[in-house]
Amino acid sequence: MRHTTKWSVGLAAVAALALTGCSGNAATTAPAATTAPTTATAATTAPTAAPAPVTLTMAAWSLSSTPEFKTITDAFTKANPNITITLKEYKAGNDYDTQMIADLAAGVAPDLYVIKNLNNLFTYQDGKQLMDVSDVAAGYDSKTSGLPLYQVGGKTWAIPYRQDSWYLYYEKDMFDKAGVAIPDGKWTWDDYAAAAAKLSKGLGGGDVYGAYLHRWQSTVQSFATAQTPGASILSGDVTYMKPFYDRTVAMQNTGAQVKFATSSTNSLTYQSQFGKQKAAMLIMGSWYVASYLASADKGDAIKFNWGVAPVPQRDSSTFDKPVTFGDPTGIGINPAIGSDKVAAAKKFLAFIGGQDAALALSGIGIVPAYTSDAVTAAFSALKGVPTDTLSKFTFGTHDTKPENQVSANNPKIQAILNDMNTSIMSGSSTVDAAIAKAQARIKAEVLKN
Amino acid sequence: MTVASKGEIRANNRKLAMTGWMFILPNFIGFAILTLVPVLVLFYMSFTKWNIFGGSEWIGFDNFSRLVGDESFHTALFNTLYYSALHIPLTLLASLGLAMLLNTKLRGLAFFRTVAFFPYITSIVAVAVVWNMLFSPEVGVINQALMAIGVSEPPGWTSSTTWAMPAVIIVGTWREAGYYMLLFLAGLQTVPKELYEAARTDGANAWQQFTNITLPCIRPTTFFIVIILTIQSLKVFDLVLVMTGGGPGQATLVLSQFIYNQGFVNNDFGYGASAAVVLVFIALAVTMFQFVVNQRRDA
Repeated sequence: MRHTTKWSVGLAAVAALALTGCSGNAATTAPAATTAPTTATAATTAPTAAPAPVTLTMAAWSLSSTPEFKTITDAFTKANPNITITLKEYKAGNDYDTQMIADLAAGVAPDLYVIKNLNNLFTYQDGKQLMDVSDVAAGYDSKTSGLPLYQVGGKTWAIPYRQDSWYLYYEKDMFDKAGVAIPDGKWTWDDYAAAAAKLSKGLGGGDVYGAYLHRWQSTVQSFATAQTPGASILSGDVTYMKPFYDRTVAMQNTGAQVKFATSSTNSLTYQSQFGKQKAAMLIMGSWYVASYLASADKGDAIKFNWGVAPVPQRDSSTFDKPVTFGDPTGIGINPAIGSDKVAAAKKFLAFIGGQDAALALSGIGIVPAYTSDAVTAAFSALKGVPTDTLSKFTFGTHDTKPENQVSANNPKIQAILNDMNTSIMSGSSTVDAAIAKAQARIKAEVLKN
Repeated sequence: MTVASKGEIRANNRKLAMTGWMFILPNFIGFAILTLVPVLVLFYMSFTKWNIFGGSEWIGFDNFSRLVGDESFHTALFNTLYYSALHIPLTLLASLGLAMLLNTKLRGLAFFRTVAFFPYITSIVAVAVVWNMLFSPEVGVINQALMAIGVSEPPGWTSSTTWAMPAVIIVGTWREAGYYMLLFLAGLQTVPKELYEAARTDGANAWQQFTNITLPCIRPTTFFIVIILTIQSLKVFDLVLVMTGGGPGQATLVLSQFIYNQGFVNNDFGYGASAAVVLVFIALAVTMFQFVVNQRRDA
């Protein structure tokens, strides 16, 4: 009798474990299994009548604080009432790609997913995790910027809906207070450094600086790569970054901008440095326009008189069409999508790079991939966006080079260059030594394999 | 009294064994699914080239020969050993010292024990943010204090390749000492009071009591702590990641982060797995060495 009790307890435990083990699995696979057949039958039974309802899923991040995904899917559903797109929230930042890759490998990723930047496009394409959308791309013209960057092997693998570019943000009142002339759209990096030094002096020092440069490697490296003719990180030769680093190291050593070490140990944010008037100038991407306006409305940033200028140039030859950088943001189709949903998904991609999507996006302060005078006007008409001539020129005229190259080596080289950036900017290594070390590592760890 | 036949004894033994198995089964299933199988897969992966999507390609020992020539791996290995070599003795001393202090009759004993344990249960991200501010080279409290007592050029701490690792070790020790203190406290409570009384009668001083009674009596605890602490130090990850991200440059790059980077940044899961296998063997070798030393002392 005692033995049977023990046995039954043991068996019950096993059964419980087996059940809980199963339920975890069932939760993820069940919805896909049940929705696919119903939509399939709907599509086959009524091919010619009113379009059957289709529900697509799409991966995106930080849904509560990033309204662009809902804006674009709502605008699409308004034009195509039979297609609904459900957003699935993923982690933000670099974790987005990690989680996305894991879900794709496990076969549980949504039908559509956002390609956050070009860094991982190759990984997805090479891993056969993107559907060929060349037919959709053929419907677009050169007004949809960034589209050619999504080509690998002559085929297009995703469609851009958003194209950020980097600008120079400045606060006019602080310039006036320091008695420094505001940017005129014809600044080289040396002009920028000189103005920052004068501003720091004129603003009385303390924790207020002429400029704030955020800790990302791109704030130095991507300008060097975009503006130096013929430069590419994939070559493994990055000596062209030296003048850019020499200048920025001198700027932080002479107090023209806050030191990298102070910025990183105190976890400074660019939003608070510029928004709380700790710096008169900030080099940052176009997303900061909407971000600053929102935080000024909420009281997280001070409301002040600001403007936008082109980023400083390497020399005067590019003042007419300033060279800056920025990756497009695109959306691709998961090849595991049900065959009955492909047409709807392609219809969505045919929408996101066009004028209607662009107008919806610029209405919330996002710079869309599609460019036209109407879109620029819609962007400038937003409440609070600077409307002076230079700001308008900056929004409308620029040559935006990609931050990343579509190549298997790109993520690896960027990681090595990030180590180089922290070595130089923290003052741990001289510019020459850090560049030499990075080049040696690229050669040994990336180009050799 | 009838004597049980051989068959009955065997059946009975089998029943007993099955009962035993049933008791460990719930835990074993979890261990097998979540730890054992992944570890076995890891060993397989280390011999392949795999970018997570699709199939993997068997490449034999290529990953391991690549590790031999990889300077980043050497840096990570050196940094991990550097961290362990300082973190293990420091934490051991700090936690034993705290345990000795808090094993006395003291007013507000529970309060002080809680305070010492607090760092261990505090969010690691919060710990990193606050310590980073304290370590800030120009405006941080630590360097302000150092300058006040006459150090003209205080270290750059987390922003210096020389001082980043010591900074991480200090925080690691501060964070974990409370936990091991708790284990030492448990060990100290098992030391019979009579031994101290007898020693005092014989005229032994505090140091003699410590070396001749306390240390030998808590040796099983110490052994356990050294093993756990060694393994924890070798696989340090979260603290480094949130404090320095492995920088500046590669100054605080440790093996776990190297593995993470190879897998989740470079999508080179086979290569990452081979570095993980090396870490497993290092931990195994050190632990076995410690077991052998412990057994010799027991003998």
